[in-house]
Amino acid sequence: MVGSGLELTTLFVRESPVAPRVAPATVPTFTERLRRWLLPTPAIGVVSMLLLAVLLLFGAHCLDWALVQAHWRGSSSTACPDDGGACWAFVIARWKPWLVGNYPSDQLWRPFTCFAAFALFWTWVVRRPNGASLLRVLQGFILLPVAFFLLLIGGGPLPVVVPTQWGGLLVTLVVTLATFATALPLGLCLALGRRSRWPVVRLLCGTFVEAMRAVPLLAVLFIAATLLPLFLPRDLTIGLFARAAIAFALFNAAMAAEVFRGGLQAVDRGQIEAATTVGLSDFATLRRVVLPQALTVVVPAVVNIMIVVIKETTLLSVIGVSDLLGAIEIGAKSPDWVGEPNILTSGYVFLALAYLGVCYALSRYSRRLELSR
Amino acid sequence: MALDASPPSDTNVSIVEMSAINKWYGSYHALRDVDLHVGAGERIVVCGPSGSGKSTLVRTINLLEPFEQGHLRVCGIDVRADEITRAARLAINRRVAMVFQQFNLFPHMTALQNLTVGPIFGSGVSRSEARRRALHYLERVGLTDYADRHPAQLSGGQQQRVAIARALCTHPRLVLFDEPTAALDPEMVNEVLQTMETLAREGMTMIVVTHEMGFARRVADRVVFMDQGQIIETAPPDRFFDAPQSARLRTFLGQVLAH
Repeated sequence: MVGSGLELTTLFVRESPVAPRVAPATVPTFTERLRRWLLPTPAIGVVSMLLLAVLLLFGAHCLDWALVQAHWRGSSSTACPDDGGACWAFVIARWKPWLVGNYPSDQLWRPFTCFAAFALFWTWVVRRPNGASLLRVLQGFILLPVAFFLLLIGGGPLPVVVPTQWGGLLVTLVVTLATFATALPLGLCLALGRRSRWPVVRLLCGTFVEAMRAVPLLAVLFIAATLLPLFLPRDLTIGLFARAAIAFALFNAAMAAEVFRGGLQAVDRGQIEAATTVGLSDFATLRRVVLPQALTVVVPAVVNIMIVVIKETTLLSVIGVSDLLGAIEIGAKSPDWVGEPNILTSGYVFLALAYLGVCYALSRYSRRLELSR
Repeated sequence: MALDASPPSDTNVSIVEMSAINKWYGSYHALRDVDLHVGAGERIVVCGPSGSGKSTLVRTINLLEPFEQGHLRVCGIDVRADEITRAARLAINRRVAMVFQQFNLFPHMTALQNLTVGPIFGSGVSRSEARRRALHYLERVGLTDYADRHPAQLSGGQQQRVAIARALCTHPRLVLFDEPTAALDPEMVNEVLQTMETLAREGMTMIVVTHEMGFARRVADRVVFMDQGQIIETAPPDRFFDAPQSARLRTFLGQVLAH
C-alpha cells in the first residue's frame, strides 16, 4: 500500500455519475396517519377521543335538527311546528326578500343583472388563473357599484325604485361594493395625506383616521342615522340608505388608510431615491415606483378589510336598513311566519351559512394571492 | 465593449462646483466646508474611512441630501443652502444619474422597464425611442438576453450592470457611483469595475465613492481623501498613492493597502 500518489488518486476517479438514491417513503398508510393524528401519545389520545365523542353527539344533534326533523315544504308557520326540527320552508318560501327585499317583482331582472355581472366579474377578472392585474380588479371594484346603483335606482326609461325598497343580499352586495369603491381610494388618499409635505394635511388626515379608529362602527352608524340629518340644511335630505353607506365608507376608509400606510412604509427608501435619480417627479415616483410595490404588499390585508366589510353589513339592520339580517327578522315577524321560535333560528342559521360561504371563498382567494407572489 | 454615452470632454466646462458646503445630521457635522470642483470628462474617486462623509458628499451633489450652508452649482443649476427647491432637485436629477451600493433596481419591473421608466416618465422621451435607447445600453453592458428578466432573477453583478445601464439611459452629463461594488460577491466585482472603466475611457464625467484602490489608480484623474466630513487631500493617483501629504491619508493607505 505504498503506491505513488497517482495510483491513490485514480482510486477515487468515477467513470459514471452517482445515481441518486431514492428518498425514503414519506407517505404513511391511512391507519398510520390516523394514529399519528389522533393518538400520538396516550394523553392526547384520551383528549382526542373525548373531543370526537362531543363532536359526534353535537354533529348528530345538528344533523337531526337540520335534516332529519327539518320541515322543507309549506308557505306559513303551520308548516313548521316547533318540534325540534329546522324550518327550511321559511327560508325557501321567502327567497325573494332574502335576495332583493321589496324590489318590485316586475323589475327583478335589474337586481339579477347585478348579481350576474358581479359573478362574471368575479370569475373572469378576479379569479383568472394567472391573476388579472391588480389595477383592473380595482377599476372593476370602483366602476361596478356605480353601474349597479344607476341600474337599480333607475330613472329615464326605467321606473325609479328607491333604495328603501331594496333589501336582503342586494343591499349587502351594493353596500359592500360601494364601500370598496369609496373606502379604498379614500383610504389611499388618507394614507398619502399622512405623509404629505404640508403639516395641515398631515394633521387633518391623521386626526380623521385616529378618530374613526377610536369609535365603534355601530356608534358611527347611529350618528349617521340620527345626528347627521340635524347638521344638514333642512332642505337637503339624504336617505337612510345613503347615510349608512357614507358612514360605512368613511369608517372603512380609516381602516384602509392604516393598511395602505403600512404598505407605503414597506417600500424601501432606496426605491424613491433611485426613482428621483432617473429624473422622475414626485408624482411619477409615486405612480410608477411606490404605489405598484405598496399595493402588492397590502393585497391580503385589503381582502381582509373586504371580508370585515361584508360581515359588518349585518349592522345595517340595527339602524333599520333591511339587509339580509334585517330581511330575515322582518320575515319572521310577518303574519304568515310569526309564532314558532325555530323559524327565526333557521333564518339565523341560513344567514350564518350564507356569510360563511362568501367570506370563506374570499379568504381562500386572498390566500391564493399571497401564495402566488 | 463601448458604452458611447459621453458628451465631449472639456475640463474647462465645470459640471460640479461645491463651495463651503456644510451639512449636519441633527448635531452631527457630516460635511465641513467642502469645496470641490469637477470639470466635464473628469473622473474623480472619493475614498476615506467609513463615516467620513463620502456618501453624503455625492448624495449632496444630486440633492438626495439637503445641506445647511454653502453653495452648489451642478450642470449650470445654482442651489443655495436656503433655497433647495424640488424644481432644482428635479432639474439636477434629469442631468445627473446615480448608481447605488444596493442597486435599487425597481423589483416590479423587468430590466428593460427599469431602463425606460426614467426617459419615458421623467424626460418625456417617446416609448419607442426609450426602448431603442434601453436595448442599446443593455447591449453595451452585455445583458441583451436579460431584458425581460426581473431583478430578482439576476445575479448581483448583473443587477449592478443593469443599474449602470439605467443610469446611462437618461443621457446624464455626470454619473455618481456610491460604493457600487461594496454589496457584491467578490467574483462579481470585476464585471462591474470593467463596465465602469469602459465608461470612464469614453470620457463620461464620473464621481466614484469606492474602496477599490486598484480602480482608483487605473481610472481616476484625481483622488479625493475625506475624513470626518472634510476633504483632507486631493491629488492625481500617482501622487495620492505614492506621495501622500497628510498623516491621516498615510495611515489610511497603510491600512487599506497593507493586505
